[in-house]
Amino acid sequence: MPDRDRLLRIYETMRKIRSFEEAAVALFERNKLRGSVHLYIGEEAVAASVCSALTDKDYITSTHRGHGHAIAKGAELSKAMAELMGKAAGYCKGRGGSMHIADFEKGNLGANAIVGGGIPIAVGGGLAEKLKGTQNISVSFFGDGASNQGTFHESLNLASVWKLPVIFICENNGFAISVPVEQSTSVGDIAVRAGGYDMPGVTVDGNDVLAICDAVDAAAARARGGGGPTLIECRTYRWKGHWIGDPEVYRTKADIAAWMEKCPINRLREYLIEKKMSSAGELDAIEAGVQKAVDEAVRFAEDSPDPDPAFVMDDVYCEAGGSNR
Amino acid sequence: MSIKTYAQAIRDVLAQEMRKDPRVFVMGEDIAEQGGVFGCTKGLLAEFGPERVRNTPISENTFVGAGVGAACAGMRPVVELTYVDFAYLAMDQLLNQAAKIRYMFGGKAKVPLVVRTQEGIGRGNAGQHSQSLEAFFMHIPGLKVACPSSAADAAGLLRTAILDENPVVFVEHKALYASKCEVPDNEDFSVPFGRANVLRAGKDVTLVATQYCVPKAVEAAKLLESEEIDIELIDPRTLVPLDIDTIIRSVEKTGRAVIVHEAHKTGGIGAEIASQITEKAFAYLDAPPERVGAKQCTLPFNLGLENAVIPQVNDIVNAVRKALYL
Amino acid sequence: MLQRVILPKQGLQMTEGTITRWLVGEGQACVKDQPLFEMETDKFTVAIDAPESGTLLKIIAAEGDTVPVAYTIGIIGNPGEDVGQLLEQIKAEPAAGGASAGNEAENPAPPRAGRDSRRFISPRAERIAKEKGAKLDGLQGTGPHGMIVERDILSLESTVKATPLAKKIAAISGEDISRIPGTGSHGKVTSRDVESFCAKEKSGGRDTLVPFTGMRRVIAGRMSASLQTAAQTYHRVCVNMAQAARLRMARAGRGEKISVNDIIVLAVSRALKLHPIMNAEFTKDGILLKGSVNIGIAVALDEGLVVPVIRDADLMDLTGIALASKSLSEKARSGALDTAAYEGGTFTVSNLGMFGLDEFVAIINPPEAGILAVGRIGEKPVAVNGEICAAPVMTLTLTYDHRIVDGAPAAKFLTCIKEYLEDPYLLI
Repeated sequence: MPDRDRLLRIYETMRKIRSFEEAAVALFERNKLRGSVHLYIGEEAVAASVCSALTDKDYITSTHRGHGHAIAKGAELSKAMAELMGKAAGYCKGRGGSMHIADFEKGNLGANAIVGGGIPIAVGGGLAEKLKGTQNISVSFFGDGASNQGTFHESLNLASVWKLPVIFICENNGFAISVPVEQSTSVGDIAVRAGGYDMPGVTVDGNDVLAICDAVDAAAARARGGGGPTLIECRTYRWKGHWIGDPEVYRTKADIAAWMEKCPINRLREYLIEKKMSSAGELDAIEAGVQKAVDEAVRFAEDSPDPDPAFVMDDVYCEAGGSNR
Repeated sequence: MSIKTYAQAIRDVLAQEMRKDPRVFVMGEDIAEQGGVFGCTKGLLAEFGPERVRNTPISENTFVGAGVGAACAGMRPVVELTYVDFAYLAMDQLLNQAAKIRYMFGGKAKVPLVVRTQEGIGRGNAGQHSQSLEAFFMHIPGLKVACPSSAADAAGLLRTAILDENPVVFVEHKALYASKCEVPDNEDFSVPFGRANVLRAGKDVTLVATQYCVPKAVEAAKLLESEEIDIELIDPRTLVPLDIDTIIRSVEKTGRAVIVHEAHKTGGIGAEIASQITEKAFAYLDAPPERVGAKQCTLPFNLGLENAVIPQVNDIVNAVRKALYL
Repeated sequence: MLQRVILPKQGLQMTEGTITRWLVGEGQACVKDQPLFEMETDKFTVAIDAPESGTLLKIIAAEGDTVPVAYTIGIIGNPGEDVGQLLEQIKAEPAAGGASAGNEAENPAPPRAGRDSRRFISPRAERIAKEKGAKLDGLQGTGPHGMIVERDILSLESTVKATPLAKKIAAISGEDISRIPGTGSHGKVTSRDVESFCAKEKSGGRDTLVPFTGMRRVIAGRMSASLQTAAQTYHRVCVNMAQAARLRMARAGRGEKISVNDIIVLAVSRALKLHPIMNAEFTKDGILLKGSVNIGIAVALDEGLVVPVIRDADLMDLTGIALASKSLSEKARSGALDTAAYEGGTFTVSNLGMFGLDEFVAIINPPEAGILAVGRIGEKPVAVNGEICAAPVMTLTLTYDHRIVDGAPAAKFLTCIKEYLEDPYLLI
């Protein structure tokens, strides 16, 4: 059961993600952002809760819908926003954009624009920590669509056979772009697929911070203790289209409205106030602080220079000679 | 110096580097008890144990991806892809992930991953176990590509690959595993990437050959010697980085170039090298650069058919004559 | 009265001929029964006389064009006479130049300037031919479809074995060296052979007195004065020109024609800035260090040697030097330079590399302190990192006035030039 401090941190993280993405939408609409921007709004509870169980030494791999994971894993909003705007000060010097934020110092091995592409990499992170003999773990975030990729099945199998400290977090938001999960996926609960790979699989309400924390805490304890991997399916919903500008022919406004009723941020807010763990004033203050930070991040990003094309060929290869031994 | 086979040379460097650096480990199909289908990891399990010598399930994309992740997380994995033909299954992890991570993430990440694989003919394995695919890896920025043609180069280049901070596709050739030559015993012996080997100096035609085509080119050069044609034979040894300067200097001297490889001629590395020669040494050319590569059909099973498809000594000799307008 | 010049049929089998040379330029006067142009048939080369006296108003078929017999190849008339109407008429004529109205159905072909005059040559052969100054006219290539390849150029050269000096003298004398019998080892043509051949050609065995022309007299006076007054001695150095060649190629790739000499002049001008003692003059009051760097470039003319001056070469970039040099030597050859263009030099560069000389010693052009003699660039073995390889090597010989400069500073100056030439990117 997460304590008050952790819940307040999760609350703040969810607010950060929400405000950050709202700011991104505004920038996109003002034509200050280019490219595909995939929004996480509505799903914030998953990243915020899962990452609340991790340290900077634990790894995550993320997806094309990765802003939430990056922020939950400790990304600085200013550098993240600068990257969305393709600026030199961004996490990837403007080379990655919205779909490719990585922050190796915080253990974020990167967002991935290939569906399922990050899952084996997370397995590799877990393998590295096992070989090093640490208690660190590795978490892979991916969607319901990725659970139909070969890498998902191969990775679950490999992590299970080798008992690697990996947690597979399937964010089931109901759609692979436009295709409903029922049309593409053989099972109702994706978590049951864990059974095929001899690991625990649980399905939780992905908008319920407490439920996610419970599941991830158990999985993390198992992984850190050498017990091997776990698959957690978080049922949630994205309020926005697959990307900004998605015509959204595959669902109705009523569907969306119903899910907006289940807003994970409001839900935690009500819980904290009801349980007298916090007050409206305290939570409003957190929100105000977050909004200020996001505004500053936008200003920072807008004021940052574009990367100099003179350096476009930098970093194709690491020039350092040999390993550091 | 010791006389070693190509396979032994690879095995010894793996063992030496694993002894020196606990971050180095190997994984792949059949590499533990079996010691690899081609014997390149024999004995490693006994010395280093099952944590560092790992048999993988037949999940190429995922175990290559696990290598990518482990490299990002500070290890120095050496992953064996039994046949390069299986690389197609792992292309996402090789080309979309390993190759791009450093650049795409702003230059902060290092991916010191070696993917050892082998290609080419030599076992009568037909269309899905005999291909030569190095051009794929050369095409995508971010990967380095080595392709040794001798035991000594295999040893020296593999050490450089393991010490390199970049992902390296290390392409061996199955017909070379039993070939022998002197290999330095020095455990720091390495061959730098991007430095071609001039196997033979000559003045008439520059012959560029890789891998199993190198011994064929040596033979062709001997035959041509009897016709008083003096071949300069160059093995680039690594395709990324490519030592084009050595090739250009040679072509400036000879005015003629023949590039031979076992991969399909269309879109092969010969196309790239020929283009660079034409761009950089046009005024020195007395003839268009000639390419010799596999015919544009799937590699067939029957030995006679296989021989008809891949370059033979005679094809090299004829290409040289053609370059000389003979 | 306009008069057509036609390609005359010479012999029964002749159907077409190639204009090899117009002996009278467009707009120039021609005289009846005096040679007007040369043509080549499949059997021979022949000079054809003008059919009328007058002015050659229009050349229709250019040198190198292959034309059917009886085709109109030019128009003769009075100066200023309008050829427009006749030209229109000729163009409209379907027959072979309209020389014979009865032939209309035959020979409709226009001059085949396209394919026949286009020479197919490999890039390498073309480069080598240019370097060697080889004449390609009539050379039959042995490459595919008759393409000229390197070996064709080399065989052209190897048919005549001659010493470099013999070649140079032959070139200066305008003699075809292949006509000169050689008396050296293996029949090699020596300078003596060329000299005696030339003498015989010109005199039929008798001695000939060539009176001094103005230029000859000036050169004679200056050169003997130079040797009598300046204390001349020299240094020599070999230079690897590989990088300079690359620079030329790089510029050529941008469409810019840079000669080796231009790069040398650039290097010399920069070296003079660093070694002002070489940019000096011996006067009775002391050594005068010159304020400008004006480099003379020796240009060989038929009647002698002239040295036009590139002024303030140290302030020019490579492109500027190339343009100045080209313009000066062209003007010098056509006699379009006034005396001022030859004055004020502070140092001279003399290049006989194009005559195949490996190296030579030049005499200082007084009152300058030095002159740099530039030999040809030839492939030579050089050691690089302990390995022998071939490299384009050129020998520079610096003659300097020991009254002004001592051996060591002169050596430094020469080495400085060498370093610039071996890494010319330092210069640009």
